Amino acid sequence: MSPIAASEIRTFILGCLQGPLEAKGLCPSSVPDDFDLSTEGIIDSMGMVELVVALEHQFDARLDFDELDPESLTVIGPLCRYIEKRIGTKTSTAQGFRAMGQE
Amino acid sequence: MARALHSGFIRSAELFPKRPAIEVEGQILAYRELYAKAVSIAATLQDRAPVVEPPFTAVFAYRSITSFVGVLAALFRGHGYVPLNPTFPSDRTRTMLLRSGCSTIVVDRESTKQLDEIFQGITQPMLVVMPDAVEVAEFSRKWPRHTFLGARNLASSGVWQPTTAPPNSIAYLLFTSGSTGIPKGVMVSHSSVTHFVDFMVKRYQITEEDRFSQNFDMTFDLSAFDMFVAWQRGACVCCPSAKNLISPARFIQNSALTVWFSVPSVGLFMKRLGLLKPNRFPSLRWSLFCGEALPADIAQDWVAAAPNSVVENLYGPTELTIACTLYRWDPQRSPAECHFGTVPIGRPYPDMHTIITDDDLKEVSPGQVGELLVTGPQLSLGYWRDAERTAAAFVTPHGKKETYYRTGDRVRSPLKGTDPIVYLGRTDHQVKVRGHRLELGEVEAVLKQQPGVDSAVAIGWPLTTSGAGGVVAFVTGTSVKENVLRNSVGAILPSYAVPREIRILPQLPLNVNGKVDRGALCSMLEAKP
Repeated sequence: MSPIAASEIRTFILGCLQGPLEAKGLCPSSVPDDFDLSTEGIIDSMGMVELVVALEHQFDARLDFDELDPESLTVIGPLCRYIEKRIGTKTSTAQGFRAMGQE
Repeated sequence: MARALHSGFIRSAELFPKRPAIEVEGQILAYRELYAKAVSIAATLQDRAPVVEPPFTAVFAYRSITSFVGVLAALFRGHGYVPLNPTFPSDRTRTMLLRSGCSTIVVDRESTKQLDEIFQGITQPMLVVMPDAVEVAEFSRKWPRHTFLGARNLASSGVWQPTTAPPNSIAYLLFTSGSTGIPKGVMVSHSSVTHFVDFMVKRYQITEEDRFSQNFDMTFDLSAFDMFVAWQRGACVCCPSAKNLISPARFIQNSALTVWFSVPSVGLFMKRLGLLKPNRFPSLRWSLFCGEALPADIAQDWVAAAPNSVVENLYGPTELTIACTLYRWDPQRSPAECHFGTVPIGRPYPDMHTIITDDDLKEVSPGQVGELLVTGPQLSLGYWRDAERTAAAFVTPHGKKETYYRTGDRVRSPLKGTDPIVYLGRTDHQVKVRGHRLELGEVEAVLKQQPGVDSAVAIGWPLTTSGAGGVVAFVTGTSVKENVLRNSVGAILPSYAVPREIRILPQLPLNVNGKVDRGALCSMLEAKP
């Protein structure tokens, strides 16, 4: 059993957003921890929904952001750590995992 | 009796001078403060541009104190306001500015960064009021044909002479998506908006204790609801920052909102992220949705999240002044009245009249499907300097004396007079992308202008219960590349209209009539989402 690390989640998120990041002249691998996807114009609310759908598909989990500080919802570091906490300790691979206790 | 749109604000400034009129990112302005700022700019406009034709002032601002001040100042001056959005591509903003014929413009701090791009190609001398700028000399040197006025150059408010706008004069000129690729300007009169505002204020029993959300940018006519319904009764308009736009739950709670007004997509977003929990928003007493189809499950979940509020679904195109029909959600009755999970659009406002017609503009029988046509005091004045498209959309059907607006929306005619009208979709290629009205023809026209492109078709995709999540385009041509095309159209279209994917095909599929087979294109998307 190996938990999903925040770094893996980060790689996946930034891979999903590679196009808009590059359009802004940013390299996904050099995005800092406090990078805000919303204020930097990378993602809007519908983009966030799509990202969540992609995350849930990738990690086979149902995500709920009710307990995340709203300030951190679109900040890459805290966002990845929150997702890691929600799903990261309950699976052996990225696939075949179902988070418990979530709607 | 018809009156100026801003008269309600002036009355509230007299009655409630110390109460908050707006909150923007923690900055609060009382009525008297907002009034003084607006009067100062109105006086400046009167003083420095005594005769302006056409009588418009553009407001180039986004979610700032100056955006509200600019709107009021234009109205105080006796002008219609023309909202411009700095998050739109500069080419689009310049097109709107040129089409409106504006020669006066109010600009906020953030938007000044775009002025160099906007002014490229504008030969008409402009009066540029920049109340957030201390120093404007650099602009004056760079653009000598225009007159720039900063904070130090504003006139004393005592100079202002109140002006009266005739009821049928234009309160705002708002540009919407046009199928030819050029936005069309909808002219909305003072009398149309005040009719709407009066009805809303009465229906929702607005008081000075209310706190309104202001989710909409000024280029979205629903923003006029937030401002003028609130200001008519001394309530406060709470404008979220860009950050709070993506955290609506926090915005509602922190701002202690009592009136919520948004597109249903915001509710969809909150539900999807698990933020729509029971009793989460006890402060709300009205929850209003407009701008796209309202999914029934969002209405249901919202009622649970805001148990002290009443949920209503408002419907109306810009041409009919913000909204002209409404439907109140009833947890017991409404689920049975929904059509494939979509909440009905209800019944027309008092004094507004609806008919449902076939392609020949003849009324269909009760229970039949047809196009919705609407008339009444909220009927707009048509499209600015566009008689052809005005004549096509504003028509007099068989056996009628009044002019009706053809909404282009397919609805089911009620069986009884009290039944709600049920929205079924569009009659044309217009879609709602996250609440934004978009003519797919506009996207296609812009794509076809790009080098190498022979033909282009845009599809609203993926489909959502409210409309479409975005746009996907199919093009044919020589030596065209998706990234290059995306960047090119991204410089022309607002972000919601830029195709998220452009598929380059050797040829477009045709149906038996030789027309582009959109169904086949949708099948391609379904097969490979």
